Amino acid sequence: MSPLILTLKKRLVTRVDLSSLTPDRLNGLNVNAIKALKLDYSGKQIAITELFDVTGDDTDSIHFRRSSRAFTKIGYAMTKGSIEVRGHAGDYLGQKMSGGRINARGEAGNWLANKMSGGRIDISGNVADFAGAALPDETQGMSDGIVTIRGNAGDRIGDRMRRGLIIVLGNAGDFTGSRMIAGTIIILGKSGHQTGYGMKRGTIILGKKPQKLLATFNSCGKLKMEFLRVFYKQIANIGRRFAHFKDFSPEVHRYAGDSSAGGKGEILIMLHAT
Amino acid sequence: MLTKLSGGMVYDPMHGVNGKRRDIYIRDGRIVRKPSANTNIDKIIDVNNKIVMAGAIDIHTHIGGGNINIARMLVPEDHRADPVKRTKNTRAGSGYVAPSTFTTGYRYAEMGYTSCFEPAMLASNARQTHLEMADIPIVDTGAYVLLGNDDFFLRLLSKGADQQLINDYVAWTMHVTQAIAVKVVNPGGINAFKFNQRKLDLDDSNKYYDITPRKILKTLTRALHDLGVPHPLHVHGCNLGVPGNMQTTLDTMQAVEGLPMHMTHIQFHSYGTEGDRKFSSGAAAIAEVFNKNKNLSIDVGQIMFGQTITASGDNMMQYKAHVHAHPNKWVSMDIECDAGCGIVPFRYRDKNFVNALQWCIGLETFLLADDPWRIFLTTDHPNGGPFTSYPHLIRLLMDKSFRHDMLLSLNRHAQKVTNLASIDREYTLYEIATMTRAAPAKSLGLSGYGHLGIGANADITIYTDLKNKEKMFERPEYVFKSGQLIVRKGKIQQTTSGITHTVKPEFDRGIERHLKKYFDRYLTVSLGNFKISDDELRSYGKKTIKIHACQ
Repeated sequence: MSPLILTLKKRLVTRVDLSSLTPDRLNGLNVNAIKALKLDYSGKQIAITELFDVTGDDTDSIHFRRSSRAFTKIGYAMTKGSIEVRGHAGDYLGQKMSGGRINARGEAGNWLANKMSGGRIDISGNVADFAGAALPDETQGMSDGIVTIRGNAGDRIGDRMRRGLIIVLGNAGDFTGSRMIAGTIIILGKSGHQTGYGMKRGTIILGKKPQKLLATFNSCGKLKMEFLRVFYKQIANIGRRFAHFKDFSPEVHRYAGDSSAGGKGEILIMLHAT
Repeated sequence: MLTKLSGGMVYDPMHGVNGKRRDIYIRDGRIVRKPSANTNIDKIIDVNNKIVMAGAIDIHTHIGGGNINIARMLVPEDHRADPVKRTKNTRAGSGYVAPSTFTTGYRYAEMGYTSCFEPAMLASNARQTHLEMADIPIVDTGAYVLLGNDDFFLRLLSKGADQQLINDYVAWTMHVTQAIAVKVVNPGGINAFKFNQRKLDLDDSNKYYDITPRKILKTLTRALHDLGVPHPLHVHGCNLGVPGNMQTTLDTMQAVEGLPMHMTHIQFHSYGTEGDRKFSSGAAAIAEVFNKNKNLSIDVGQIMFGQTITASGDNMMQYKAHVHAHPNKWVSMDIECDAGCGIVPFRYRDKNFVNALQWCIGLETFLLADDPWRIFLTTDHPNGGPFTSYPHLIRLLMDKSFRHDMLLSLNRHAQKVTNLASIDREYTLYEIATMTRAAPAKSLGLSGYGHLGIGANADITIYTDLKNKEKMFERPEYVFKSGQLIVRKGKIQQTTSGITHTVKPEFDRGIERHLKKYFDRYLTVSLGNFKISDDELRSYGKKTIKIHACQ
């Protein structure tokens, strides 16, 4: 069996919702059945073959080639299998995903991993705002799973996040972990303003000392947290790109906060950082 | 153009027509006399054996203004879960419990409703309310302005102002906000909440102004009576939702000393404290007093099981209710010292004792109140349930066995304490036509609406007579608005713009001298900008303003 490959053959003028093209939804369909599917595009329903060249037959492994930022909801509610995206992966990548794996070789848009509750998403480029965050009405954002971002991330990473792990190797925007309920966010690059704003619990680990921390975070001194040694070792195992985590020192400067929201969260700033 | 609706069974309670076969002729948006034999009839629509009624009127539905707009913002998930696609004749929209403006209009029209009245327009929110209502297509709209908790009124009252001055203020407010009636929400209570009072009974005093709700009710009912406003004071009483509030409600009914008064969503005000759970039905006692006092009218505010959102100006009670919020998010705010705003999303559960009993209390009220001319069908949209549940409610009223089957599926303890099972009454089509058409039109003083007499506005709904009344009322065969065919088989054929209903009682313009000083000293807008002129109102989209007569 060869992977199901969907190659975009048209310049998109409006968004197209791809929530129907996941390993779960296509399970058991052959190529002809897949070619007969319809997509909502530009106010009407059109055949999938008008937008994509469809080849391959393994619905457990779906590849999007020549992807566009007009795509939305790739991997919506997927529970198994894998999706690979080349190009811009669009908004709502991995929304409500509970299992399986998404590998985006390029950038991703807003609301990455919204309501994700399991599985893993790897992004090799940058992402826009609200990664792992809750939509405006939702009381909880991402509730489990792993998201890794090799590039930079925008604002509000992990807003109202409940559980799970987000790793950003590049820089992060403002309001990282705002209103976070629990979970872990690691930013190795620079972080913006208001990190941890209103966080209740949870851990934000920063590789570089931010210019300024909120006044509602209190220093708990410099600590050597042995747990971090174990934790970093585990992270080093999740992929080649993260192997250097095993060399990190467990010494951190711990800040507890946000004391305006109970103060049970923490920001840990790695000590080897400048 | 002359249209003939031929052979329908007409239900027109305003003229006592109870299911008679009649032809109806429409010309230029009005119902006309049978033309002479040689007149050319342009279009004949065969409605043989179909049920013909006037377009329905919803007397109490929160469809525009600050409250419902904040409700919309609070539940974006409601809008995400219920997108409505654009069609050839209609625009896109969204929302189920708090739908967007366009969707509101379409859904009302599709059910055969042609007029809807927003009961809680804050004077300072009037512009927003009218702008939103102008967006609602097809149906006619009107709004009741809120008084009784605003600072200026309470100042007047505490200074012992003359009734004449208060009448002028009430009339002035109705003029500048383009209202058709006046509503009071938790008289004095919203204001008292701002002085940290968490409860205000009928004879409790506001801590700051030293005024009781009783005094406010008496003053306002007197004012509306003096001004000749057709719709009496629309009262959302004290202690909404509190077990044992039936005594307050009974006292309130007597407090106005025989002057006309409308008590709204009375289901929420009919709770006793009997039984093991200290929560019981007061519907029987309330209905008995209601039946005796002809000066009163009520609407029910029936609850419907499922998710909804409660939106009320009564932030004293909404603050109390916020612990039940589902999903857990809520809003309670002051608006311009005028009144309040409390929004609490809520899910009514049929297996919950209190909710099941609320459902029973609403139906008991419907079935025990014997005069359909004084009781109106509402769910207090969206507080008891969205207006789209009206057909279901009508079936509950018209179909005894369906009602009993529903009752048997509810919380068992609630089944034991309600006497709903022993009530055999079934509403007739004539009574439904009364409570959803003729009675609201009469109560609001809408001349030419709610009936099918000669000269009436041709708002007509035609149903196929089905045994399942829910199916029947859900999907009318034809709906005409001002003579134009709007809905055919439950589908919108064209969209038109309705009109705005108002009344303009006479008053002494000298009141503006007092108001000018007050506005300059305390408020954020100047007096001139506060007023909505007729020209401005027309510019919002609804081109016609119908001013109904004061008696």
